[in-house]
Amino acid sequence: MSALHNVTYDEIIEDSINEIVKILKYEYVLSKRSIALLLLQEDNDVIEMVKAQEKNNYIKIIDIINKAKKNYDKPLNYVIGTMRQNYVEIISNKVVTKNNNNEFGSSWLDTATMNPISGSIILILVLYFGLYKFVGQFGAGTVVDYIETNLFGAYINPWVNSLVNNHIPWTWLQNLIANDYGILTLAFRYAIAIVLPIVGAFFLIFSIIEDSGYLPRLAMLVDRLFKVIGLNGRAVIPMVLGFGCDTMATMVSRTLETKRERVLITLLLALTIPCSAQLGVIMALLSQEPKALLVWIAFMVFVFLFIGYLSSKVLPGEGAKFYMEVPPLRMPKITNVLSKTYTRMHWYFIEIIPLFIFASVLIWLGYLTGFFDLVLTALNPIVNAIGLPDELSKVFLFGFFRRDYGAAGLFDMRKSGLLNYRQLVVAASTLTLFVPCIAQFAMMIKERGAKTAFAMGAFIFVFSFIAGYILNLLLTTLGVLA
Amino acid sequence: MSKNKLTTLKKVGSILFGIDTSGSDVLQDTEGLEKIVLVGNPNVGKSVIFNKLTGAYVTVSNYPGTTVEVSRGKGKIGNKQYEIIDTPGMYSLLCITEEEKVTRDLLLRESPKAVIHVIDAKNIQRMLPLTIQLLEADLPVILVLNIMDEAEKLGLKIDIDKLEQELNMPVISTIAALNKGVDLLKERVDKFVSVA
Repeated sequence: MSALHNVTYDEIIEDSINEIVKILKYEYVLSKRSIALLLLQEDNDVIEMVKAQEKNNYIKIIDIINKAKKNYDKPLNYVIGTMRQNYVEIISNKVVTKNNNNEFGSSWLDTATMNPISGSIILILVLYFGLYKFVGQFGAGTVVDYIETNLFGAYINPWVNSLVNNHIPWTWLQNLIANDYGILTLAFRYAIAIVLPIVGAFFLIFSIIEDSGYLPRLAMLVDRLFKVIGLNGRAVIPMVLGFGCDTMATMVSRTLETKRERVLITLLLALTIPCSAQLGVIMALLSQEPKALLVWIAFMVFVFLFIGYLSSKVLPGEGAKFYMEVPPLRMPKITNVLSKTYTRMHWYFIEIIPLFIFASVLIWLGYLTGFFDLVLTALNPIVNAIGLPDELSKVFLFGFFRRDYGAAGLFDMRKSGLLNYRQLVVAASTLTLFVPCIAQFAMMIKERGAKTAFAMGAFIFVFSFIAGYILNLLLTTLGVLA
Repeated sequence: MSKNKLTTLKKVGSILFGIDTSGSDVLQDTEGLEKIVLVGNPNVGKSVIFNKLTGAYVTVSNYPGTTVEVSRGKGKIGNKQYEIIDTPGMYSLLCITEEEKVTRDLLLRESPKAVIHVIDAKNIQRMLPLTIQLLEADLPVILVLNIMDEAEKLGLKIDIDKLEQELNMPVISTIAALNKGVDLLKERVDKFVSVA
């Protein structure tokens, strides 16, 4: 390994390294040469570590660094990086030969996806066919209808209900297992008949898009839009992942460079980005009436930009620099796509089943103790204020346990003809904005700290209802979707 | 026994609260094994190689920055079991983001038996600086040029033997997604570790 050691940098840097190495007494895991280089590049963590270990000698090291700095008009970090890069170029020129006749076949598509005009068209096509047609109409329409009506509606639920009601003498136990909010009739039905087909369809499309390498291109495309709200394209990563699962996305926001960006993204994720299950169910709800779907999309985009712009003005700090790795477009491998879809569905399924049961039990307990009626009575006036019937309070309460649980409740209600399209759009919009589910909230506390998380939660709670109120007022006044 | 109970409890808890990130959650008992760490830029195929070495499954995607947590799994190389560690992507030993710090701290803390630096063969110029930094740090590095097929499609020819001489370290080329070169990688790691 030592062949490398003394050829990479110029004399001044090499001398400084050697001097620092002589002073370092403590044994670090990394070699002393490496530590010396990191010190010269002023890596904060390493500086702290060395300060603590070397005590008095540390001042001598500082002198060496300062002396070295005077020789260059650029920061040492840059100087050292450039020398290393030059060294690498010498090596790679020796080992790499390029045959120019051979270019990537997909390069025209490559540029087309990132060009603002053709890129937008491609994005719309992807959204239309991938999300609207496949997830919204096929997954959430055809498949859900079939399982819901033909399996649960016609066979399973009536059978469970009659079995339980005939053989179990206690009403409280009957209601825990069956009837309106039972574990089998509600939790399992929501999970298997409504959420699973939708999420499955979404995961399949998402895996294909993900593996093709399209997402980083989307990031480049959206970069401009994001700059307006003070974010860079790198923020698209957690954003797009948020459409899969906001909880995961909140975790991934770690990859952002500044604290400001991380806070901003956490808020936007919690407020404006629906997770896959919720998105699917809402798509399914609204695809019957394209106008309703458009109103919902326009409203969500507006809120996203509005809040993003405002908070980027309010939160201190500078706009971030853009940096993004763009891998080439690849033909997705079917086996990988399928196994990924399967793993995600499997993971999702084992995750939601206990949660839905948990929610069912909580709701059952809540009813048994009368606590839920209290909460619902408190929620009713607010729900009524935004033009929705009392039944919607339940949906919002469910929505806090799981976003998708709430959305599934909405789906149920629509099917029984309790809502018109205006109410549906208002409910869907408010529910999308409404507080993140417990899991996401837990992740927000973990990543951003309890204070920030609770402040965001309170803001979101108030904001979602105000937004719903305004939307309802707008729609009623304009007479759209009456 | 009680440790198992605790793990189960944690698992149940995380499922209940929905913070179970089973993508990176590989439950294997790797205590006391020697360690092999995979490092490299985002989106070069570390997770694919991790899956091939351990037989576990962590989600792989053509999307930089998907691995944010460290995954650990058990893998057999030669006649010996190792703890294989997959890390979030890093660009340089000089850290900018939190995930890079996670990886560097791991290198500092765990004293691995081998560090496999995975790079994208198409972007060898941009990625070799990290190799140099790892060598400078006297870490036991093996270089893997992954995604060789795409480099070839671009018309790049890389002389692996010559690169080995220049850097004075083991260099292996792979197309991990198609399972090409993985056996050779295992062989070389085995040899490398037993010499070191």
